[in-house]
Amino acid sequence: MRLAFWLYEGTALHGISRVTNSMKNVHTVYHAPQGDDYITATYTMLERTPEFPALSISVVRGQDLARGDSRLPGTLEQVDEHYHPEIIVVAPSCSTALLQEDIGQLARHSRVDSGKILVYDVNPFRVQEHEAAEGLFTELVKRYSLEQTMTEKPSVNLLGFTSLGFHLRSDLTSLRRILKTLGVEVNVVAPWGAALEDLRNMPAAWVNVVPYHEMGLGAAHYLREKFGMPSVLGAPIGVKPTLDWIKGLLEQLNAIATEKGLPAVEMPPLTEFSLDGLSAPSGVPWFARTADMESFSGKRAFVFGDATHTVGVVKFLKDELGMQIIGAGTYLKKHADWVREQLEGYLPEPLMITDKFQEISKKIEDEMPELVCGTQMERHSCRKLDVPCMVISTPTHIENHLIGYYPVLGFEGADVLADRVYTSCKLGLEKHLIDFFGDAGLEYEEEEKVAGSNGHAAAGSSSEGAERDSQAGGEGDTDGMPWSHDAERMLKKVPFFVRKKVRKNTENFARENGETTITAEVFKKAKEALGG
Amino acid sequence: MSSVPGTTQLIKEDNVTHSFCGLASVGWLYQKIRDSFFLILGTHTCAHFLQNALGMMVFAKPRFGIALIEEGDLSRQDPNLDEVIAEIKADHHPSVIFLLSSCTPEVMKVDFKGLARTLSTPEVPVLFVPASGLVFNFTQAEDSVLQAMVPFCPEAPAGEKSVVFIGSVNDSIADDLRSEAEELGIKVGGFLPENRFDQLPAIGPDTVLAPIQPYLSRVVSRLNRERGSKMLRSLFPFGPTGTRVFWEDLAAMFDIKADLIEREKAAWERISGQVELLKGKRVFLTADTMMELPLARFLKNVGADVVECSSAYINKKFHARELEALEGVRVVEQPNFHRQLQDIKQQKPDLIVTSLMTANPFVGNGFIVKWSMEFTLMPIHSWSGVFTLANLFVSPLKRRENLPEFDESVWLKGVMPSAE
Repeated sequence: MRLAFWLYEGTALHGISRVTNSMKNVHTVYHAPQGDDYITATYTMLERTPEFPALSISVVRGQDLARGDSRLPGTLEQVDEHYHPEIIVVAPSCSTALLQEDIGQLARHSRVDSGKILVYDVNPFRVQEHEAAEGLFTELVKRYSLEQTMTEKPSVNLLGFTSLGFHLRSDLTSLRRILKTLGVEVNVVAPWGAALEDLRNMPAAWVNVVPYHEMGLGAAHYLREKFGMPSVLGAPIGVKPTLDWIKGLLEQLNAIATEKGLPAVEMPPLTEFSLDGLSAPSGVPWFARTADMESFSGKRAFVFGDATHTVGVVKFLKDELGMQIIGAGTYLKKHADWVREQLEGYLPEPLMITDKFQEISKKIEDEMPELVCGTQMERHSCRKLDVPCMVISTPTHIENHLIGYYPVLGFEGADVLADRVYTSCKLGLEKHLIDFFGDAGLEYEEEEKVAGSNGHAAAGSSSEGAERDSQAGGEGDTDGMPWSHDAERMLKKVPFFVRKKVRKNTENFARENGETTITAEVFKKAKEALGG
Repeated sequence: MSSVPGTTQLIKEDNVTHSFCGLASVGWLYQKIRDSFFLILGTHTCAHFLQNALGMMVFAKPRFGIALIEEGDLSRQDPNLDEVIAEIKADHHPSVIFLLSSCTPEVMKVDFKGLARTLSTPEVPVLFVPASGLVFNFTQAEDSVLQAMVPFCPEAPAGEKSVVFIGSVNDSIADDLRSEAEELGIKVGGFLPENRFDQLPAIGPDTVLAPIQPYLSRVVSRLNRERGSKMLRSLFPFGPTGTRVFWEDLAAMFDIKADLIEREKAAWERISGQVELLKGKRVFLTADTMMELPLARFLKNVGADVVECSSAYINKKFHARELEALEGVRVVEQPNFHRQLQDIKQQKPDLIVTSLMTANPFVGNGFIVKWSMEFTLMPIHSWSGVFTLANLFVSPLKRRENLPEFDESVWLKGVMPSAE
């Protein structure tokens, strides 16, 4: 048994709900104890869903187990009555899997039409997020896709875009823009935003586009076997890979066009891919050649993430920015062989395969790279080590779910990645200054260590100094009143991020009440009057 | 429906709801008890929950972790935690390790008590804390943690009369409560929990237990049973009225007559602006943190119209005074969320107090919401908390006024394609 603090991959339930939360009129019911429902918060908080995610829990309580009751049939009926989904996916939890509950059998006890219920009975102890998501999506495509007449115009399905995917919306926009420029129609995007009707219509597209290695390959494979649909696989990360991706797509489409006796899809001038239609589609090739970017050639980078982004980013850093890759790794053991194969010749040492963040943290500490591209966890490890880090893969933090347009795929994705590298690294002249003069004259307010050792008082006093310095330099009205030792001690108990404000408010309160010194008594009165 | 004092309706439903399990308590308890380590015997799900839903960052050295049950461990009813414990001791040097149960090992019928006993040493006790979602919701595991510490509270001799406050609060609130009590002439025996495990308060037959969080019924009755301590049965110290009643009742247990009516008036005066805004507002509490009863009572005191107050667990004895004060309010234990959603759409309350899982979707449906979790993490206790408490309710209402008109058909387009 191992001690875990943090894990890269989510649970099977997370994978299942990522698919169903992406889709229209598909509801997931988890047969699970209270609290497994936390998964809902990942959608409502990170994606800020303005509607209730179609996820409900059929609560398993200890007392029900003792009595042999199950609330699953009743919950299915409630869900059907309240939300009228086209299909309900029923998923087990760790506890119900361990109890070997036959959820298929239980589901049949409900009054809900059994054709509406899909029991996705994965073993949550064996299967994790990506495998569960991919498995369920494949299952749904198998179940619903139907023979269709091909669209008249060249068209594609975009497969694998899934709720909480890394920079999902922006990447979808980036690919849609490229396709629009090419004059290629998007037949279906799935699972993101797809209804079952869309799954039925999938075989109408000419080609399936599957950018992510983790998600959509199973569906594409099935659609090729069953309906003879060709696929374009791989993520267009970087300028050259984007050009190759377009070329590959056109080859597939034009093979079909020729067969049908239709005109070929032409490659337009590259300027047409740019936002203004006048410029180069990406700034990366020129940017990489500029004099100030010369310092990149010696920069040592380490990359860690899922399969798709690890492969894409290693190649981008090395091939397009001319950086030095000191190592790479992935937490997706099942995809490690593919990553290794893709990165043949790129890595000076074997690919790291681990789901223990401590091992990656140790690696970073040993190597002290000049850039780490990783997940939220590497960013955290790097913060402690003061190593520049950019997040390039799930798992992410809420800070990675921004509302702006930050694609990773396509020409614009290359620009975003290059910008991130540039702003993450300590660069050229600035770096020399910092190395030479220590802090380059910059003043940083030191953040108080929130947890960890018991030395909170010591940590408090250092930020205290910084506060007062910056206060003295601030507006003239805060000339600073004397504080008694006791009052200072009380102030230190106020959370550091509001301490400055509390100090100022207390002094204002004291002045208004004719006090000249902040004693513990005055501080207390102020706190009461001002509300803490 | 069952009857409680007064005419409060208490309805019990089936608990099909959106909330967290007891492990959530680790989020604040590991920060509160600084010489502790919280070890959860659990699965990938428990780990994923702690790192995601609570938005918990991994601090430099987190003092909580999961002994991860993987497939190969399922056949063993007696998990071997020796190495895990050794690792924790070497890295963190805790004075105490809390061993929390979760659903899977509960189903496996792991003998937690025996396990904790064998792992304990005189220097570093390992204490079993039942916390699984099969039994416990959200804040309730704090009750289990406090119970686990009971045997380590020294016995206060008979005749030593003092108050021990029950519930974890930050230092600033603790200082306020302490000095307020002392001003009233009440001797303070301490807090359960204190900041350190090695500083637990002495508790004996003449200790008065003053619960300051509404989800700690079991530890209070256990101390009453085991140590003969007296229980304060009052309102919880939230809002001007709750705070006055709490302190007056507590003083009375020390034979001190406190008349705090002027203080209460002044407190109401300080929040008169907020009261004005909240008066007549229709508020719906959907059940999440088990802070709901006193929050609803404060809203009622303010003059708001509480449409429904739901809570995951209601103890008719422990919450008797709050229930009494909620006379006329619809109170639901273990509510059904589907039913609530339907009622809310019909009743159109002005404000919904609800969980992290449901807050944004309610906003998307045109409602104004307050995250219920904020009430567990903000200083809302006693006199100095009055202002913060009132503002927590007022700020979403004011904020909505400050924002421009919003055309959903325009600005929600594409945010969640699955719902379009």
